[in-house]
Amino acid sequence: MTEAITLEDLTKRYGGATVVDAVNLSIPDGAFVSFLGASGSGKTTTLRLIAGLEQADGGRIRFRGQDITDVPPSHRDMRMMFQDYALLPNLSVAENIAFGLKLKRTRARFSGRVEALVDEYLRMVHLDGYHTRKPHELSGGQRQRVALARALITDPAIVLFDEPLGALDANLRHAMQYELKRLHGEFGKTFVYVTHDQEEAMAMSDLIAVMKDGRILQVSSPEDLYFRPNCRYVAEFVGAGNTLLDGRIQSLNGASVRMDMGDGIALISKSSTHGLARGQHVGIHVRSENLELVADPPSLSDTENTLPVRIDEQVFLGGRTEYHVSLTQSPGTQLTVSVQGGQSGRFADGDLAHVRVDPGDLRILTQ
Amino acid sequence: MRLVANAPGQRSPSARTLERQRLMFWLGPPLLWFFVFMIVPYGVLVYYALGSVDYLTFTPGVSGENFLKVATQDPYATVIMRSAKIGLLTALCSSVVAYPLAFYMAFHVSSARARATLYILVMLPWWASYLVKAYAWKTILGTKGILNETLLALGLIDVPMTFFLYNQFSMVLTLTYIFTPFAVLSIYAQLERVPQNVLEAARDMGASDGEIFRKIILPISVPGLLAGGVITFSLGFGDFIAAALVGGSDSVMIASIVINLMGVAYDWPLGSAIGLVIIGLAAALLSAANYLEHKTQVRL
Amino acid sequence: MTRRLGRRGIVWPAAALVLAFLYLPIGVMIAFSLNAGGTVGLPWTGFTMDWYAGVFQDRALMGSLWNSVKVSLGVVVIAVCLGLPAAIALDRFEFPFKGTFRRIVLLPIVLPGVITGVSLLGFYLVVNVRLSLVTLTIALGTALMCVIVTEVFARLQQVGQSQAEAAYDMGATELEVFRKVTLPSISSALLGGILITFSIAMDELAVTYLLIGRENTLPMQIWSMLRRDVSPEINAIATITILISLVLVTIGILLSRGRTLVRD
Repeated sequence: MTEAITLEDLTKRYGGATVVDAVNLSIPDGAFVSFLGASGSGKTTTLRLIAGLEQADGGRIRFRGQDITDVPPSHRDMRMMFQDYALLPNLSVAENIAFGLKLKRTRARFSGRVEALVDEYLRMVHLDGYHTRKPHELSGGQRQRVALARALITDPAIVLFDEPLGALDANLRHAMQYELKRLHGEFGKTFVYVTHDQEEAMAMSDLIAVMKDGRILQVSSPEDLYFRPNCRYVAEFVGAGNTLLDGRIQSLNGASVRMDMGDGIALISKSSTHGLARGQHVGIHVRSENLELVADPPSLSDTENTLPVRIDEQVFLGGRTEYHVSLTQSPGTQLTVSVQGGQSGRFADGDLAHVRVDPGDLRILTQ
Repeated sequence: MRLVANAPGQRSPSARTLERQRLMFWLGPPLLWFFVFMIVPYGVLVYYALGSVDYLTFTPGVSGENFLKVATQDPYATVIMRSAKIGLLTALCSSVVAYPLAFYMAFHVSSARARATLYILVMLPWWASYLVKAYAWKTILGTKGILNETLLALGLIDVPMTFFLYNQFSMVLTLTYIFTPFAVLSIYAQLERVPQNVLEAARDMGASDGEIFRKIILPISVPGLLAGGVITFSLGFGDFIAAALVGGSDSVMIASIVINLMGVAYDWPLGSAIGLVIIGLAAALLSAANYLEHKTQVRL
Repeated sequence: MTRRLGRRGIVWPAAALVLAFLYLPIGVMIAFSLNAGGTVGLPWTGFTMDWYAGVFQDRALMGSLWNSVKVSLGVVVIAVCLGLPAAIALDRFEFPFKGTFRRIVLLPIVLPGVITGVSLLGFYLVVNVRLSLVTLTIALGTALMCVIVTEVFARLQQVGQSQAEAAYDMGATELEVFRKVTLPSISSALLGGILITFSIAMDELAVTYLLIGRENTLPMQIWSMLRRDVSPEINAIATITILISLVLVTIGILLSRGRTLVRD
């Protein structure tokens, strides 16, 4: 697969602050890639740098191998969809969509096809018949569709999205996520998406780049990001049911690591031992759905990664039930266990039980 | 493979160059204009102010004597202080007079049409001729003016009163009258921004109207009062028209002095020095106002 | 729940009193413009329209009115042609000494007109240019540019950058962005600014006083009439100017603030 966009040590400073700090990233052609991060993480600035709306202070941006760092936005084969849609209030829906087809620079390329194209793209975003409406007569969702049609109509290789769904309500947002994913599949273009909403990023993306303080912390598939975060920040930022414990490496044995958690508790993780050393303090991360809650350990000999707990509280959440438990050996340490289905009532508050975790589901985080 | 949307062979300009060209396209002409018609004339003022004049002939020089004169010799510093006093009184009085009307417009007029009408009613006297407004007060306050005639007709006085006109009182009254509409509009602009839900929340918590006014409305009005006050002060400070029409010997203003030095006494160096001092004061005032406005602005 | 705050019985009369204060002198003016007596003031001797007829027959006065219109139109042209680009530059770009540039543009707001007049008088003297309506127009254009800059700048900030950015992104040239995006979004603010600038220029006396050449503007003409003999004709002129500003101001407000006032 070729690279649509390559960022090499991309850097942007405002005043004294480094907003984008030596970012390196490859965006495969045709992929749906999201930048995920809290506000101020540098994700929007990175997107604007790719679009050419900001000038980099250092590093390069390549488009299919060619350096475009210094190319103005109008000469890049990409279109941006803005957070506030940036529709022109004085123009009708059709005029807004046709805007990019009738400019001095583009007129010749689209001449004679403008009307047909506008019709086609309006139909595609389910707005046929809205030609003469003005933006202020549309709902938020409709405005967004106009902006989307306007971004796609000039047939750019890459479409950039700056948190376009932020202003919509939850139902509309889900519908639009589905719609964007469908369009992505249909057009086969590269989509670069910026969001602070991890669920949104997970729902749509092939690849997610998590950003913090102008740096990319992890780039991986949604699933890897969720189950195999590479640092504490990503583990906590992504997903709700997290357990993060502190421990110290007791011994390394082939592919398994034994960790001392204090209070006489030990856990075993099957993961890469690369870069780990005995005595090192590490974080141990596990998703709540990877924890298993059992009444008794299956056998007296099989006590590996099985810890006695007390049930503190249970919350019924429809499809699943969340148990908040604390370790009997270390009452200050609390875990959240997520159990699928209507198993509520199996345990009562205050019951004693055991939590088990597969060594392969325990992630060791050194950062 | 298509890199850019352009026809092949057409090289794209560098983004930075393009950005610089755009900036110069917009900034260049005004920058040049302000340089020629503002900075250079200020430079000319400096040139004059550093020189001296002797029997109507100007001799260039580099002496600070004229600035020293402004600071120490009568009546210049005194008149500058007096102009500032009149400006300050004008700003204060017009704010106080304007507040009830602005308050009424912001909190008691519920129909949009009525508000627009009131807005125009306030705006109108503001745009009526300055000269004519000042002159109107002369016809009201004069010895044969309406006030005296009315008082005489009512038998409250036997001879026309002279203290209504040609003093600092009539100056401040006239200037207050002239600037009140402006003060109303700038205070109203601020009060208009008070959100409904803040009032409702305060009432819900049991605040009385008086408390709401003291603790919410008044702090929010401060930037409007300041912004309006700074402009009113400057306009009052620089006035010479009201001074000439309704002012007296106790209310000679610095603008009149400058006009006299330039046009009658031909003391260009001294006039220029005063001009520069006032430009300095104005720049300082602008900075102070900017700072205060940012500091007191309530983010809504 | 009501927005009403404070007792209506107190607020309403206070507001009415202020409004009365604003209109009393104007009422006096209009009344005496219709008084048959030859002097300004009481007694009331009967109704006449003679003073208005006099105004329209006064050639010097009509000439000065025409001069004022010419100057004010010129001032508007200068203020728009340079103030609009200045506002765009301030809104859209970062450049060295931006703060200083901004302060220079806005300085005339707080600087007495007399001082602007003095500095330009000195300048014209040094470069040896005779005072005329043209030199006056240049001076007033410089001083009043701040009106256009503040009005347009405020609107640009309100509109935000993204529409222009979207247009650039789609390949629009600078002029296309200006014509199709920027100008439509600021047109009402610009028109409001033009009307304000025009009205101030029509009434300007402080800068004018020092820079007037041989031809008088309307305020200068009224000024010299006031210094000579006081005739009720002045009141007639005043009434006419108030009526003209009523029309201009109403149009201006409806254009620039109309939307925010009408929304309830």
